[in-house]
Amino acid sequence: MIAMSDLSLSIYSLRGLTMAIVLWSVHCCMMAQEGVCDVDTVVTECSLQEGLVGTLEGGRTGCGVMQPCMWDNPLVSTHSTMFGVGAANVLDTYLSPYSYTGPEVRIVRETGRPTKLMRGRVSNQTLVDVNASYLENRSGTAHEWAGGIRYSIGWHYLFYASGSFSLRGGLLASGYIGGVYNTRNGNNPAQAKADVTVDVSALAMYVLSVARTRIVLRYQLNVPFLGAAFSPNYGQSYYEIFSRGDYDRNVVFVYPGNMPSMRHLFTADIPVGHGMTALRVGYSGQFNQAVLNGLRYHSYSHNFMFGFVKRFKRL
Amino acid sequence: MKKNFYSLLYNRRMWRQIAVNVACAVFSCVSLVSCIGEEYPADDTPMDNFEALWRLMDEHYCFFEYKKSTIGVDWDEVHARYRAKITARMNERQLFEVLCQMLAELKDGHVNLSAGFDVGRNWSYHEDYPENFDEAVARSYLGTDYSIASGLKYRILEDNIGYVRCESFSDGIGDGNLSYMLSDLALCDGLIVDVRNNGGGELTTAHKLAARFTNEKCLTGYICHKKGKGRSDFSAPKPEYIEPAEGLRWQKPTVVLTNRRCYSATNDFVKCMHAFPGVTLLGDKTGGGSGMPFTQEIPHGWSVRYSAVVCYDRDMQHTEFGIAPDTLVLMADDDVLRRRDTLIEAARALLRERGNNMACGHIAELE
Repeated sequence: MIAMSDLSLSIYSLRGLTMAIVLWSVHCCMMAQEGVCDVDTVVTECSLQEGLVGTLEGGRTGCGVMQPCMWDNPLVSTHSTMFGVGAANVLDTYLSPYSYTGPEVRIVRETGRPTKLMRGRVSNQTLVDVNASYLENRSGTAHEWAGGIRYSIGWHYLFYASGSFSLRGGLLASGYIGGVYNTRNGNNPAQAKADVTVDVSALAMYVLSVARTRIVLRYQLNVPFLGAAFSPNYGQSYYEIFSRGDYDRNVVFVYPGNMPSMRHLFTADIPVGHGMTALRVGYSGQFNQAVLNGLRYHSYSHNFMFGFVKRFKRL
Repeated sequence: MKKNFYSLLYNRRMWRQIAVNVACAVFSCVSLVSCIGEEYPADDTPMDNFEALWRLMDEHYCFFEYKKSTIGVDWDEVHARYRAKITARMNERQLFEVLCQMLAELKDGHVNLSAGFDVGRNWSYHEDYPENFDEAVARSYLGTDYSIASGLKYRILEDNIGYVRCESFSDGIGDGNLSYMLSDLALCDGLIVDVRNNGGGELTTAHKLAARFTNEKCLTGYICHKKGKGRSDFSAPKPEYIEPAEGLRWQKPTVVLTNRRCYSATNDFVKCMHAFPGVTLLGDKTGGGSGMPFTQEIPHGWSVRYSAVVCYDRDMQHTEFGIAPDTLVLMADDDVLRRRDTLIEAARALLRERGNNMACGHIAELE
């Protein structure tokens, strides 16, 4: 458990606070515009020839909004693959009381698919996120390998759409398996990482028109808010857990109080050709933290991401 | 009333409001929590390195209460005494020497401070005692026509006593290898397992060898770990058992030869064997080392090894300072000059006597 007296506002905290303020502001805007641009409207079919642009006609009031085809056209699913390079900072006090830093590579595979739920306002998303990093301690005397794979699947509800901006929120079911390996340690050389969580997710999109090109800006924030994670007890050896089968609180219930984590993904889709393919560049910021059984862990990574997005018409 | 309930249930605006409020609450909760960072002193100064090492041991080492009751180590007093020796201008060699002296207070062979130029250690568990082992003399008993199975060297001595030399538990031992070895020694009247100067290795390897010497599941000890930073924060001790191996198992009298250099996993092997009927410990007390060591580090990058997990014997007694033999036998100097191993000869005599007693017993039964 983290002491609530530890309230220093770090950059990490500012991001979360900013997102909370944005959400609340949008919520107030939604309340203020009630009846003007009611989201309960019928989604019209998006013309694929128009590339990324589609139209969502309002209902009774006739207001129109711009929406990317890939999210609102029930006939189109999107698939993207991104590669990332960046840096990681990993602390795991089971292995060392100090942080290890070094380069990281990441691959993110995303699939987005509208559904017919709630009259087309719900979209499905799957994310596969693979990372690997090679780390060194401050004095350069020891190294660690860290990495893992996270699979997330969830649904987002279209809360708000006006002009070129839309806001979605929903839940993701997320599972992670990975580890940290210290090349120097003896009976505690590695720490396994595994968790299953339900994440609260927010997704904001904005279509930016630049020189007759429509660039889709997207920002997604996932915050795990409950789940379960594996952790050895404070001084427990893996020999006791796996060779002897001695369980001692090794599956821990997690919530923001003991696993305050955030995963950010900011991307820009630049259309290529006739609009069914787009170049995607962006930033992935992962702030995974946990204090379980007295063991402190964090993995902060910043990656520049680049890849491509392809849209497919469903037959 | 029913109409009001359904209208409430299908009120999308209300549900949107609830969802946004929950999301804002979650994000706000997370935003109010600070980063989970390092807790230990992190500057690479002599004082920070000293404080980090002392605190690391204070929160992770598992034998403070035992060491205080047996050798009078007060870790808080140690802090005050050694802190006075730390100066800002001392160089890394001087700092290393002071930190190693502090760790040596614990008299634990599993406690080491490793730098690029040296490994700080306290090996008084064997350096302060006679070795009771001569490599050349022991090798003369094996000769040159011995067999090797998974690192175990063995042969049958002239009086039909099997002799197995186990030098280390660092490498694994195959089940098939053990079965072949015991099959080759099956007609022997007794078996000598010589683990002198075996400094340890893998616990699982030691237990695999021990499992060949019991026919039933046997309680051999208890194990527990720290579950918090306090010096008394331990988990409930869990019993340790050795289950009989599925391959060939030795059924006749056995003598295990020990000396002060039997440490760590070897000490645990001796602890297990001591729980089996038909096994006699002969030689000198083992060196001990019942704490399973973990590794951490201090700001300068030096790694620290320390005992983290406690292993007790089946009577819940510590074996950190060694296991006493059933029969104390020390190496005679004139035996060494005559290339005669006092302990092996004593073991052979003991096994011959046991063998004769068993033969007499069988004859008595037949009559």
